Amino acid sequence: MVAVSFAFFLFVGVPIALVLALTAMVYIFISGNEVLFLSYPQQLYGGLEKYGLLAIPLFMLVGELMNEGGITQRLIKFASVFVGSVKGGLAYINLIANMFMAAIIGSTNAQIAVMGHIMIPEMAKRGYDRNFATAVTAAGGLMSPIIPPSMLFVIFGVLAQISIGDMFLAGIIPGLMMGASFLVVLAILGLYYEYPSEKKMGLRDSVQSIIAAIPSFSIPVVIIGGIAFGIATPTESAALAAVASIIVGTVFHREFKPQRIPAMLIRLLSNSAMVLFLVATANVFGWIVVYEKIPQTLALHLQSLTNDPFIFMLLLNLLLLFIGMLIDAIAALILIVPILLPIAITSYGIDPFHFGVVICLNLVIGLLTPPVGTALFVASNISGCSPAGIMKPLTPFLIAAIGVLIVISWQPQLVTMLLTQQ
Amino acid sequence: MTYLQKLNSLVAQFETLLGALLAFSITILILLNVITRSIGNSLFWVDEAAISAMVWMGFLGASVSLHYRQSVAVTILTEALPSKLARQFGHIVDFCVLVFAIVLLILTWLWFDPLTLASYNFDTKAFSSNTFNFIYSEATTTLGFRKFWLWLIMPLFSCTLTLHALTNLFCPKETSSYQSGDVPLNDQTKD
Repeated sequence: MVAVSFAFFLFVGVPIALVLALTAMVYIFISGNEVLFLSYPQQLYGGLEKYGLLAIPLFMLVGELMNEGGITQRLIKFASVFVGSVKGGLAYINLIANMFMAAIIGSTNAQIAVMGHIMIPEMAKRGYDRNFATAVTAAGGLMSPIIPPSMLFVIFGVLAQISIGDMFLAGIIPGLMMGASFLVVLAILGLYYEYPSEKKMGLRDSVQSIIAAIPSFSIPVVIIGGIAFGIATPTESAALAAVASIIVGTVFHREFKPQRIPAMLIRLLSNSAMVLFLVATANVFGWIVVYEKIPQTLALHLQSLTNDPFIFMLLLNLLLLFIGMLIDAIAALILIVPILLPIAITSYGIDPFHFGVVICLNLVIGLLTPPVGTALFVASNISGCSPAGIMKPLTPFLIAAIGVLIVISWQPQLVTMLLTQQ
Repeated sequence: MTYLQKLNSLVAQFETLLGALLAFSITILILLNVITRSIGNSLFWVDEAAISAMVWMGFLGASVSLHYRQSVAVTILTEALPSKLARQFGHIVDFCVLVFAIVLLILTWLWFDPLTLASYNFDTKAFSSNTFNFIYSEATTTLGFRKFWLWLIMPLFSCTLTLHALTNLFCPKETSSYQSGDVPLNDQTKD
């Protein structure tokens, strides 16, 4: 009955946060644990009383401020100094600038929205196929939640009760691996697509572009440096990065307009509340998971299939790729972590940071696959290309991302390397 | 526009304003924490204040999002339906939101139990010892006041959500439908 009501609410189109909240209500009613109703509102409130969650609105604010302060354009120009003159230079610029942006923004959809508005028209103007330009931009967005900071890592850290700062460090190597694999894919695709050539940038322009981008790099430096050297918590480093964005946008770029702050705060409220409310309702949904002993039951079934952690990770990846196609990444994370993390740790001895990076990377891939690939629809919306048209050139990038996912699932030290050196 | 719609719109504006102010205050509070700690004079109440501001912001924003039907939902089935049937499904969704809001309203009423508190002449000690409901005696960790002041967001949220859900269900107007992803952060930022 509980499963039926969950499926009903989900597929009728009830907001996912309310699917969780209503299913919990149905469960309490059916199970006869009415005493749980008395603490229901308190539990809902308690779901948000976590310091780590403060990073969510603050990192969203950094993204907003950075966009208002003209930082994106400078980072793109900086990337063009190094790869601009090679054949297909603009496509490489797109990917490399996306890597820089991923070190500031923590959400795929947000990054594709920012980069798509700039890079897709520019690439189309220089003669690139529009579907291809959109696919490269969308693939670049995949790195956003893996290269720190990452909204998904913040939520995983809160759910798993592990350090968000360490989670960010765990994402660095997988994020760089993804970036490198995408550059290789781009080079291979160059054998089939006729990439346009770019004009070589003069020495004077190159130096100017590098100097102009230096202030913008203060933002990722503040975020990653603050966390890596233990100067600030991820939450504090986000607040410091917000200040850095305002200074860079106002003093260096002179593009930041204070009168835009109210509109920015309203967007911030809307975007962060959606995520926060989902986390709050996940707390009451957690009752079902605990009282029904779902992890224990599932663990028994899984252990009858395999005792090998790598095979478990592969099975998990298959399941998550399927779930990621149907449900939004944050919602999927909230549903899955309380069930599968205890199994991964206790039954298979998997490191929680390793598990976190694998699960987040997997769900991010789902953002770009139909039928519920939200990032795919954002890219389609911005470019005017059909999702089917984008999928063809995007597929090699998705295969590369799945390749990185398998390698990371197989070699946990790629994730934990930076942690053990601390 | 009916009175219900006017009231609904005013409440949504109030929630947006308060929520945006809280979003701003979170940033200021965290910065205050960094500054005071770096000069060796930490303010111990700042973290709890920032968390409480975030909780209030989260519920205010959630209420506004549900009002504008902007929350994340799985729309794979409804998008495949003919428009007339999809509209019927939209009514079912609005009804589910209303049910949630009303049940939450009842639960927060039972939790705060104002009538019983009034029957003890608002003596919170007598209320707690006789009902074993400690809502009015629990204190915040560092803020120096009772926690029920912070918990008041729950009845406020359930009231405003009930109002929004009633309006969406009985005074339907052209609002955006539930979408299958989070609102892109910056896609409306630049003109």
